[in-house]
Amino acid sequence: MNQTDVIEPIHETMEEMYVNMGPQHPSTHGVLRLMLKLDGEVVTGVTPYIGYLHRCHEKIGENRIYTQVIPYTDRLDYLASMYNNFGYVLTVERLMGLQVPERAEYMRVILAELQRIASHLIWMGTFGLDLGNFTIFMYCFREREKILDLFESVSGQRLNYSFYRIGGMPLDFPESFLTECKAFLEWFKPRLPEYDAVMTDNIIFQKRVQGLGKLDQKTAIDYAISGPMLRGSGIKWDLRRNDPYSIYDRFEFEIPVGSTGDVWDRYMVRRQEMDESVKIVEQALRDLPPGEIMGKVPKKLRPPAGDMYSRVESPRGELGFYIVSDGSEKAYRYKVRSPAFVNLSVLPVIGPGHLVADMVAILGSIDIVLGEVDR
Amino acid sequence: MSTLLEGFYSAFAALGVPWIVPRLIVMLVVASLVIVFISVSVMFMIWWERKISAHIQVRYGPMRVGGWHGWAQSIADGIKLLIKEDVIPAGADRLVFALAPMVVFAAALAAYVIIPFGPNLIVRDLNIGVLFYISISSLTVVGIVMAGWSSNNKYSVLGALRSAAQAVSYEVPLVVSILGVIMTAGSLSMIQIVEAQQRIWFVIPQFAGFLIYLTAALAECNRLPFDIPEAESELVAGFHVEYSGMRFAIFFLAEYANMFTVAAIATTLFLGGWRGPLLPPWLWFLIKTYFIIFVMMWLRWTLARLRVDQLMNLGWKVLLPLAFLNMGITGLVLVLRG
Amino acid sequence: MTAEEIIQTIRSQFGEAVKASEVKGVEARMDVERGKSYEVLVALKGMGLDYLNCISSVDRIASGELEAVYNLSSLNEPAKAMVRVRVPREDPVVRSVVPLWSAADWHEREAYDLMGIRFDGHPDLRRILTSEDWVGHPLRKDYQDERLVPYEPA
Repeated sequence: MNQTDVIEPIHETMEEMYVNMGPQHPSTHGVLRLMLKLDGEVVTGVTPYIGYLHRCHEKIGENRIYTQVIPYTDRLDYLASMYNNFGYVLTVERLMGLQVPERAEYMRVILAELQRIASHLIWMGTFGLDLGNFTIFMYCFREREKILDLFESVSGQRLNYSFYRIGGMPLDFPESFLTECKAFLEWFKPRLPEYDAVMTDNIIFQKRVQGLGKLDQKTAIDYAISGPMLRGSGIKWDLRRNDPYSIYDRFEFEIPVGSTGDVWDRYMVRRQEMDESVKIVEQALRDLPPGEIMGKVPKKLRPPAGDMYSRVESPRGELGFYIVSDGSEKAYRYKVRSPAFVNLSVLPVIGPGHLVADMVAILGSIDIVLGEVDR
Repeated sequence: MSTLLEGFYSAFAALGVPWIVPRLIVMLVVASLVIVFISVSVMFMIWWERKISAHIQVRYGPMRVGGWHGWAQSIADGIKLLIKEDVIPAGADRLVFALAPMVVFAAALAAYVIIPFGPNLIVRDLNIGVLFYISISSLTVVGIVMAGWSSNNKYSVLGALRSAAQAVSYEVPLVVSILGVIMTAGSLSMIQIVEAQQRIWFVIPQFAGFLIYLTAALAECNRLPFDIPEAESELVAGFHVEYSGMRFAIFFLAEYANMFTVAAIATTLFLGGWRGPLLPPWLWFLIKTYFIIFVMMWLRWTLARLRVDQLMNLGWKVLLPLAFLNMGITGLVLVLRG
Repeated sequence: MTAEEIIQTIRSQFGEAVKASEVKGVEARMDVERGKSYEVLVALKGMGLDYLNCISSVDRIASGELEAVYNLSSLNEPAKAMVRVRVPREDPVVRSVVPLWSAADWHEREAYDLMGIRFDGHPDLRRILTSEDWVGHPLRKDYQDERLVPYEPA
């Protein structure tokens, strides 16, 4: 049982060809390896091989005290570091029963939703790249750059923020942040129709993605798909609404859903989520109360013995943290349920039957970040 | 021009040199001139494309090398490619691998023979000019298949096969779309086709033909939205994935040279060639050609890539019937007008 | 269905096989004997908890056991469930739930890879995150590797 039986292809026939897509390939978004079985250009089978970026995240988490783990969580989904921080500190707070001050909650939501926009922007840009549209990539990065400027003004970092703290936030917003953030939103809102002009309304783009990689609701639940992929299949499920954490129950926003679960639906869900995130940020900025930003937290964090699984809706889906505490300063067991890991596992189901070019589009629509898949 | 040549030949004949020698010298000089022109114009085009794409994408593009807006960037890139190590993959078919870029480049080069830059600025006014271009341009695909096959790489093979399929399905509408022009002009000679546009450019009576030609030409030079043989994000780089250094540079050169050729042919057939007021003919010709090249670049940086089957559908089910329709209507009009 | 009802139903159905149970918020937590783990999960899925969030693995080295933790929830109601199954380290075999949830496929492979819990009936139990020729299970507390440098605070 210890020895693995490898299903690598050995016997190629004249009809079938095996192609290794990755670990170095421009469209696998990192070091993912897909073994494609091709009949001409039609993919008849696909097996993902992951783990090239495995860096013992969970083992490290067991050997650091609770606060020291926060910077490591940045490196999970490095396109949405704020959200990883959010999920982690939320789990520890729930484990310890800590209260977070009001202002800190609002700060968290503002930063998290800006992060969601930034993450979706990257996704949109790279998705355009997968389909051969390079220009949208540059447009998206222009906007993301502005969000990163905002984050830099808050945390001093542009990618791995490590900005959330257990029990609150370490620093208040700088004075200029509120005006800058509002200015950004005003500037950003007219940009979205620009993307529509380049991508959404483009007939070539529509023809390329419609009807591809259909994921029906039954399969989606069977594979525990989450996030925009699940909503693309027409299931109105968003943890911000259905299992509210932090203060998400105070905001009004729509949950965009698709109908058929194809790549187009997933695209549209993410595209519309950007609109909704803008709404949430605007509401949060409007209601942002003054006050403390750090709650009462003991000097040494020793959560009571017990375990806790808590989840947040990251830009990619359900980001869960399972922490087992034995009452000491370090987690006894620290496990990350990464949405991209779970969402990627459905690829062998929705991939086959398409052309190689579509395979790239389907993989792009899953929106994986290998830092999170491999941990 | 011809008297000068005759004088050159007779001078050699008087010296008792065999007749072939002066002719070879002339050929060599002309070929070198063409190659120099291609290299220079390609370098300019690459720089231009980088600047255009940059400005479409809200950035600047090359700004450093050479001072003014990075005009020397392409030269620097060219020199870098020239002095790179020549790598041939271990499993490659060495002879075919080495030959492939040459075949592609030779095909691109040969097409320049019939491009009329001006009334007298043509290497050879063949009376089958258009036919010559059509047949020569099909040679490119042979080189691409050679490159894909000899690289011993599955992505290359896929790219080469896509290229072959694409060339077969787009050459037909390309040729049929040109037929309308040929019927109206009543000649295959490039010079005479331009002469026939004295009254009106063919782009007006043959607008459908022009659009079909332009679409098919984009596919012919493997440019977006028809760049599926290269398809960066799917096949990495398609048929030339294993090429590097000088060999890659030759592919690159040939690709842009092809782009210039199809634009030049479009200018000749549809936009009145060198005709235009005030400016010298060769300048008019270049202006029109570069305008078409600009349109091709513009499309590339705006559109997404088609899929293989969509490409085939477009070629066979849309462009070809349209091209035939265009040809039939042209014939009908010609007959009715007597 | 509330957490209390879930626990009641499971307890009445399986009796002694449920070793411990508690309710935490909307979450029903229970420790189950490994012989009945699959049946308990089938019953939970039948109650509408058809969404397998996560399968975690914990090394309970003090009692010489490994633990598999299943987190279940539903997309229709707020109820959640956490099922813990302990197995001895010498014979760490749990029945696979891949027939119930395809999502379990990669989770179980990961638990096998990093913790060494073997899932009986898994269609393709290979290592997933470490390389194929890896020896040992890195997340076990007694995992030793000569390449590991002990962390010494300065």
